[in-house]
Amino acid sequence: MPRDVAFLDAYIPAIVLLFILGAAITWLIDSVLARTGLYRIVWHPSLFRVSLLVVVCCALGLAVYR
Amino acid sequence: MQASSPTSSQPGGQRLFRAFADWARTDGLVWLYLFKAIAAALIALGVAMKLDLPSPRTAMTTVFIVMQPQSGPVFAKSFYRICGTLVGLVVMLALIGLFAQQPELFIASTALWVGICTAGAARNRNFRSYGFVLAGYTAALIGIPASQHPDGAFMSAMTRVAEISIGILASGFVSAVVFPQFTGELLRSTVRRRFASFVDYVSASLGGRIDRSQIEATNARFVADIVGFEASRSTAVFESPDSRMRAGRLARLNTEFMAVSTRFHALHQLMNRLRDSGSTVTVEALEPYFREIAPRFEKAGEPVLTAADAAHVAKQLEDYRATLPRRVRETRAQLEADLDAQGKRADTRAARLLDFDTATELFYRFVHEMNEYTATYASLAVDTHSREKWIERYVPRTNLVAAGVAGLRAAIVMGLLAAFWIATAWPSGTNLVLTAAATCALASASPQPARMSSQMAGGTMLASVVGMFLMFGVFPHIDGFPMLCVALAPALAFGVFLTTRPAYAGYGMGYCIFLCFLAGPDNVVQYNPVGYMNDALALVLSMVVTALAFAVFLPPSTPWLRKRLVANLRGQAVHACRARGFGRGGLTGLRNRFESGARDLMFQLHALAGSDAAFRHDTLRWMFATLEIGNAAIDLREELAAASAQRAAQRATQRATDARAPRAAWRDATEATLKAVGALFARPDAHRHASALATTRAAIATCHDVLEQIVSENAPRETRHRLQRILSHLHFIRTALIDPQSPFAAYADTRAHDANTPPGNPQGANHAA
Repeated sequence: MPRDVAFLDAYIPAIVLLFILGAAITWLIDSVLARTGLYRIVWHPSLFRVSLLVVVCCALGLAVYR
Repeated sequence: MQASSPTSSQPGGQRLFRAFADWARTDGLVWLYLFKAIAAALIALGVAMKLDLPSPRTAMTTVFIVMQPQSGPVFAKSFYRICGTLVGLVVMLALIGLFAQQPELFIASTALWVGICTAGAARNRNFRSYGFVLAGYTAALIGIPASQHPDGAFMSAMTRVAEISIGILASGFVSAVVFPQFTGELLRSTVRRRFASFVDYVSASLGGRIDRSQIEATNARFVADIVGFEASRSTAVFESPDSRMRAGRLARLNTEFMAVSTRFHALHQLMNRLRDSGSTVTVEALEPYFREIAPRFEKAGEPVLTAADAAHVAKQLEDYRATLPRRVRETRAQLEADLDAQGKRADTRAARLLDFDTATELFYRFVHEMNEYTATYASLAVDTHSREKWIERYVPRTNLVAAGVAGLRAAIVMGLLAAFWIATAWPSGTNLVLTAAATCALASASPQPARMSSQMAGGTMLASVVGMFLMFGVFPHIDGFPMLCVALAPALAFGVFLTTRPAYAGYGMGYCIFLCFLAGPDNVVQYNPVGYMNDALALVLSMVVTALAFAVFLPPSTPWLRKRLVANLRGQAVHACRARGFGRGGLTGLRNRFESGARDLMFQLHALAGSDAAFRHDTLRWMFATLEIGNAAIDLREELAAASAQRAAQRATQRATDARAPRAAWRDATEATLKAVGALFARPDAHRHASALATTRAAIATCHDVLEQIVSENAPRETRHRLQRILSHLHFIRTALIDPQSPFAAYADTRAHDANTPPGNPQGANHAA
């Protein structure tokens, strides 16, 4: 995948698009996890969510850039 | 607070712990917020500096604009801020592209855009309104500096967006992760408190232990509560999937609460009127029911504390409701016998029975709605529930003219300042214009915008002095980011502390935002005292001009605007009587729009009233009249719609064309009543009041005749009951129209004075007194 994506003639770093995608994926995983009731046994749900976001975004970034 | 009294016998450690817990619940939260806000600001500053963005101070400023003690509002504000920023960015790029060489046209179109956005903000509610605010002033924030260097406009706009996003992410991260204060928790305790206070209120007023001023105070509190609950609910959605799964039920809870409180108020008013008119037999027949209902709001004598308790109460109410119709029939028979024994005249007897029917109808509906409300409360205990499927949302209602004035005001202020800028070529003109846009937008959300913006000006003055000291006294002597944090933290802490005190919130906001703006460090700090002073002067000047504009140019507290809003409030009743296209959700949707619109307007009026007790009292009376009569009108229309549906079905099956003329007469009379009542609310005066009363009376008489006729004809029970219900709704409207406590009392007096009619009319007199 190229480092920059041309969007209406403006170069956007691919990582920005990946992180937007990552946020969307995290949103999905989050609502699925909430339905399973996992958050009742998690100590700090918000921290969990933030970590999930970091993990998903890093995974996407590494998958493309490595 | 109360925990400190019985601690004398406890060991020292435990006492200390209790004292600490108490502190953590009260003052501790303020300190926590202080810490969080400063941490978020410094993180944003650090990240923006690390990324080598041209003005890291924008990131820090954003943090103070977005930061709130609760987590939900931060996320909601952040979300709308990102949306608003992107919209503003696109608009600004278009405007710069179009008018880069024409400053006049550029400024005019920017002022227009900001005006449109401010009007949109005034038209909408909660954080959606915030999105509009931001779309407007972010456009100014990005566009006006960028327009100075059109060749680099795109890059400068992009870095602005990046800085704002960093500020948003930093504040979101800190408020989500560091000791989060969830709005969801707040909602849960609000639900519990509101249920308890409503039950208390119901029990107290059914027992007759409550006076008029207390009722008004309680209802005003309920109105504020309903509006605040909706605001919290709309932000809690951003917090967690848990809140999202319950959002529909919470909305439903609010709607049902509105319905049940209106119904209860109607019942209570009716009982007061009956007591005043000396209709003791009817009151005595009804009182046992009121004594019975109060214990059913509790679980085995204990007040409801959790959703599980509410399930129990809902069951109790359901059982009670099931037995109600049969018992009411028995009581009615008893009442008829009593009236006969007392040897009342036929018309008095009929009027008493009508009173009884109306009261029991209201009571039955009240029990039903209370049951629904409790059941929804009970359903909150589980994650998913069938009650979640609820499409009706709280619908805010705002005045189009007021919104237009807000937008026009913002545009005029910007235009004036920009004219000054162009005429004098002041180097700080950019700041002058864009701060005016920001202040207009931020202050117009507060109930007293003139006070808010003058407070902000005061805060900015303070900030410019402190900033001066930081910029030229401290920054030259320090080195490195940690030292910068040490220098900034105390100065910022003071401002954040001010924002937590409601009386000084405006000062705190001006101080925090513009301290960052003036003294926020860049990567390469430029020491330019003249430029600094120019900027500080521009900021204060633009805020002063904004404050003047708010005070002079149609301030929101003018009698004119108040009158418009009261007219809007009455318009809700007109809408209830007349609205043809029911829109989404049919008549139920109409009821929801009516209930929430009336409350929303009442809330705005309450904020405008300030300390004007007479005006507040007057608006409350109008709200009660609107809610009572409007609701009865919607009830009537529901019955009419059901009746016509049934008739259509009958026609389809049997082509019966027998003598239906007298049957249709009641329908015409009822529709005439709705029309007359609608006209009365549209433009109240003595004449319309008289005609509304006359048509209502005529409709009651017609319905009564038809009812007697079909009773003798042995018509189906369903038809008979419907007519009885219509009769009781009509009767209720009539009692509300002649209530001496309603705003119509003045018209009733003048009419009696003019016409000089002897109060001998047996049908009306017994309720009018």
